This record gives sequence, C-alpha cells and structure tokens, in this order.
Amino acid sequence: MENARNALSLPGHLTLEPGKVVGLVGPPGLGLTRIGLSMLAGPAQVGPVVYLDVRGWVNPLAAWEAGISPEQLVIVRCSDRLLWPKVAAAVLEGIRAVYAEVPTGVRESVLRRLAALARSRRSALLLRPLGGDLPTGVAYVRFQGREVAWEGPDVGHGRLVGRRLVLEASGKGVSGIERVIEVEDDGADVVRMVSRLAAAPAGRAAG
Amino acid sequence: MCVWFPDWPLRRPDAPPDRACLVVDGSATPRVVAFNQYAGEAGVRLGMRRPEAEVLCPGGTTLEQDYATESLVFESVAGAVEELVPRVEVADPGLLFVPIDGAIRYYGGEPALIDNLARAVREAAGAGGRIGVAGGPFAARWAAASAGAEPYIVDDDRQFLASLDIDVLGKEELVATFRWLGIGTLGALASLPRPAVLSRFGQAGLHAHRLASGEDRRPEPRAIPDDPSVTEHFEEPLVLLEQVGFAARALSHRLMEAMGESGIAPHRVEVSARAADGTARTRVWRSADSFTEKALAERVWWQLRAWNESAGIPGGIVQLRLAPADLSGEGRQLTLLEDVAARIEAERAVARVQALLGPDAVLEGRSQGGRDPIEQVRWHRWGDDPPAVERDPRAPWPGSTPGPSPALVPPEPQLLEVEWDGGMPSRVRLRSRWEPVLNWAGPWRKLGRWWRGEPHVDRYQIVTSAGALLCELRHGQTFVIGVYD
Repeated sequence: MENARNALSLPGHLTLEPGKVVGLVGPPGLGLTRIGLSMLAGPAQVGPVVYLDVRGWVNPLAAWEAGISPEQLVIVRCSDRLLWPKVAAAVLEGIRAVYAEVPTGVRESVLRRLAALARSRRSALLLRPLGGDLPTGVAYVRFQGREVAWEGPDVGHGRLVGRRLVLEASGKGVSGIERVIEVEDDGADVVRMVSRLAAAPAGRAAG
Repeated sequence: MCVWFPDWPLRRPDAPPDRACLVVDGSATPRVVAFNQYAGEAGVRLGMRRPEAEVLCPGGTTLEQDYATESLVFESVAGAVEELVPRVEVADPGLLFVPIDGAIRYYGGEPALIDNLARAVREAAGAGGRIGVAGGPFAARWAAASAGAEPYIVDDDRQFLASLDIDVLGKEELVATFRWLGIGTLGALASLPRPAVLSRFGQAGLHAHRLASGEDRRPEPRAIPDDPSVTEHFEEPLVLLEQVGFAARALSHRLMEAMGESGIAPHRVEVSARAADGTARTRVWRSADSFTEKALAERVWWQLRAWNESAGIPGGIVQLRLAPADLSGEGRQLTLLEDVAARIEAERAVARVQALLGPDAVLEGRSQGGRDPIEQVRWHRWGDDPPAVERDPRAPWPGSTPGPSPALVPPEPQLLEVEWDGGMPSRVRLRSRWEPVLNWAGPWRKLGRWWRGEPHVDRYQIVTSAGALLCELRHGQTFVIGVYD
C-alpha cells in the first residue's frame, strides 16, 4: 500500500513527483492539456485530483480517455485572477495532484509561494500559464511545446488517430540541461515518450 | 448524556496546584486545551496559542498533553458510568457520552438516573465533572459546557442550541465565513432555508445547518459485509505493553483496510479484549469525524493500556476484537489503494474551495450520450449524488464525431475565419495569422431537429501546424467547438 501511495508515476511515461512543480508552456493546440491530464492519471488511481479551470473549457471526456476515473476528477472553475491564488492554495492543502491553469497577470511571488506550498504538502502541481511563460525556477521541470504533427486525416477521409509532439524540457528535473523530447499520443492510451532527441539549442550540451 | 471534565488534562501528578498551569496539545502550533484557576484569572482561554498564553502567566507551568495517561485515568470514570448504564462511548479522555433512554424506566425516572450517574462520576473522579443531558450528542456536549455543579438538562435541543455562538461548530474557515455574513449564532444559521445553505456552502454548510437545528449527524448505514469486525487470537497471551501496542496497530490497520474495501468510514469502534482467565472487557470509542487508522490505533492502545493498568487483564490478552459500531454513509467509495486519511484531507480541501467559490464552481462529470462534446458530459456539483444520465452513452449517436475527444471545449462555439476552396478548408485565421490547413477529415453531418427549426451542421477536424480543431459549419460560418490540445 505504501508503494502505491508514493507512486505518482507510471513507468515509461511522463511523470509527476510528489512536491514537484511541472510547467506546461505553449498555446492551445499543441497537446499540452492532454499531456497534463495523462500525468494526472497516475495520482488519480489513489485519490482525487483537481483541474483548476480558468477558462471553463476543459473537457472531462479527454480526462477520462487519458485514464482518470470520473469519480476521481474534480473540476474547479475560477476565472477571478484575484481569488485564484487563494483557491489554488486551498486545493494544494489536501489534493495530491493538481493541474492549474494560470490566469494572466498572476504575480511571480504568488507562483513561488504555491510552489513552496506544493513542496511542503507533497502535492504534485502542474502549472499551465494561459499567457506567457512561467518565471524561471518555479517549475522543477518545464515542458514547452514546440511542434505537433497529427496523423489520420487524409483530405476529407479518415479521422484524427494520433499525434507526435515535440517538447523542449528544461529545469532541475532534467539536470539543468535543455533537452528536446518527442512524445506520441494515440488518443486511446496514455502519452508515451518515444525518443529523447539529441538536438538541443546551440551552445548547450545535448541531453 | 454527556460527561465532560474540562480540566481533565490537568489531572496529572506533575501539574502544580499552587500556581498557573496550562496544558497544550502536541500540534505544530500548540494551543491551550486546559488551564487551572490561576491561569484562568490571568486571562488564559481555551484555544489560545502557547506563546500568547505563556506571556500571560510568567512563572507558570506549561505541560504537553499526554493522551495515553489521560485515557488511563479516565477509564475509572467510564467504568463507573458503565456500571449503571451500558454502551458508554468515550470521545476523548475527559469526555464521554452514554445513551440513557433505555435506562430511565429501570431507575425510576430521569432525575433518579441522572442523580445516580452524577454520584458515580463524583465518586470515581471527584468534583469538576459537568453533565449535560439532551436529545442528541452535539446538544448534550454543549449542555455539559453550560453546566455547573448540577447537571444541565435540555428539553428542546433546537431552542437550547439557538443561543450558542457559531464558534461551537469548530470549523474555523466556515465559521469565519458565517460570521462575515452576519450569522453569529446557531439559531441564526438554523433559521436560514436549508436549500439555500446547501447551495451556498455545500455539504459542510448542510452538516452545520443540521447540527444547528438539533439534528446531529445521521448514521446512514451503507451496504456492509455481514460481519465487519476483525478479531485476533493470541496463542501466547500478550502480557508486555509493547506486544499490546503492536497488536493494537496491526488490528487497527486490518479493520481500516477492510473498511476501505467496502467504502465505509467508521465513526464508532467497539474495542473488546478477552483475558486468559476468560474476563471480557469492552469499550466504545466515538469520533465526530470518521476514524483514521492512526487515530483508531492510538485509542485502541490507550484503552488496552488503561485496562491493563487499572483492573488488569489477568493472565494477559488472548483475544482482541474491533467492531465498527457506527458506519457512516457519508464516506465515498474507497479504492483498495486509497488511504482513508488522505481521502478525508482531500475532501476537506475541496469543501474549503466550495466555501470560497460557491458549490456551482466545484464540479464533477459523468459520461452520457450525445452528438456534441458539450452534450456528452452530465455535470453535477461536487458532493452531490450524481444525477441519472439523460442519454445512454452506449446508444448509437449518428452525427457524433469519433474520438479522441478534444481536451478543450468552449462553452459557446467560437467563430473562426476559414477560407474554403471548392468545399475544402484551405487556411484558417488563428490569432492574427493565417495558417494553412495541413489536412482535414469530415464532414460528419449532424442532422438538426427540424421540428425545432435546427439547421443541419457539418463537423470537420482541421489540422494546422498550430494544432487540430473540431469545427462546425453552419449557415456558411465556421465555429470552433473543440480544440485538440
């Protein structure tokens, strides 16, 4: 029981760790929401998880397809930028894994306090800024969406069946060395990391 | 009936009788749980933070609460009450409850019964005990708090509770919100329409309203296994305290694990031990919140130690049994992997958020049939029972788009500029840029309910370098109804 309680990760997949903050940076359309939902699926096996929804757009169907049981997913709608920090903190006090959309204009000090709270409460926190980026050092690992390629549609035929996303990973979680990773998502199973590409920004060591 | 000794934590040999003394709990921010007369005269109050209280009592003594010793000593009081009326329930050392309805006739009336009980308590523990009698435990507890040397008997629970300060609910954040809204007493809270309280404050508010109305928590037993108790037999009688402590922890773990499998959260547990000479001892422990494994193990350990050191368990313990006596239906179904304490903590956190935002902002969903992503989710407030789905998700839904589902669905369709070339989408305007359509699939035609004047609409999956969109084309305009994010 102890192992299950501490296991917020599924082997071979993008993982959440208790007390760590993961940043998901990029505009809608790249697939970051589904990556975040897939990462919540592990913790959702042992307790409720929360999606802090600022826009009111999250579709629980996608969460259920990503492996989160409907009984374990709580959606908190908060579009009020001034109330958002208090709500996020209240959620972190008792929920083991949280995906939080971050409204524009939230101060850096607020995000750092939430990160500290996540650490002290041993809660995993995914932050998805709705505008811009996260301040440096808030996220233990930051994934920035670079590009996405969909498979399936064929000039009016077929349907979406899967995609490959290219993400740039940075932060302490990747030893401070920026890495580019490729992720495959066929929509029916959890997101899988398929390759760790050697390509990295010029001037930095390759992963 | 409730028997409460407010100074119970002070009844210990190291508490000085001739100067200020206070007892604090063992939490991270210790607070006063008991104080003597000298400390009281200096201004110390229950719940005060330790540093604040110590400043008021320079030269006084501060002791940390010792639950185990307090339980041991309180066993004499519980035993004395139990001699007269069975089914004593200990909530904490110094606080017990006992249902007296069934014993009234035997003792020739309520006054005679209460007199007998009050005398028994005095003989067991001396003066200082307060007795409250009411219809329910919550009212009885606060009747005891209002009592002096004589028992305080409540005729009408609701009327009695009406004048009590809202603080007695004990839920700091909820109480602060009530007070901010001008609700300062239980009577003010009880006078509000219950549906409105539920709507504004969720389950926490509903529970508070029930207490304020004198209704207490209703045990609503769920479907439970035939025998939810757990029993352990010991071939070698347990005689050492360490052995007993280990047995207490192990059996508590077994019980809570079994409870978890059935999705039950116990609020009362009957602890029974049989000695080698056949003597049997039983005590019920109760808790306002459902027991966690840790809290249960502690109480079992205190109880066994108290029996061992008071009347003794001749020859050692040969059998230990834990039986949940009040199985609340308020707990959610727990999975095998879930920790009961973590679940309770999570629910408290969500309830706090509900209090901040209102119940309509904290939601869960269930799958139901439909042709649009919006239709395929049946929302309900967190904490409410899921409503029956309106449409069977297993039925065929012609016109619905195949999976995967878009991760983002706008509450209202968003107008999108799309250039069409011979019936095919060629480019779309995203933010301020035109993006070429890399590929597309569809259309999936959704036939409108013509009798309601709904038009037929076509759905497309449109892929650009910026991502994929689920779009709907009607009356020559294109709308985004989903983003595959």
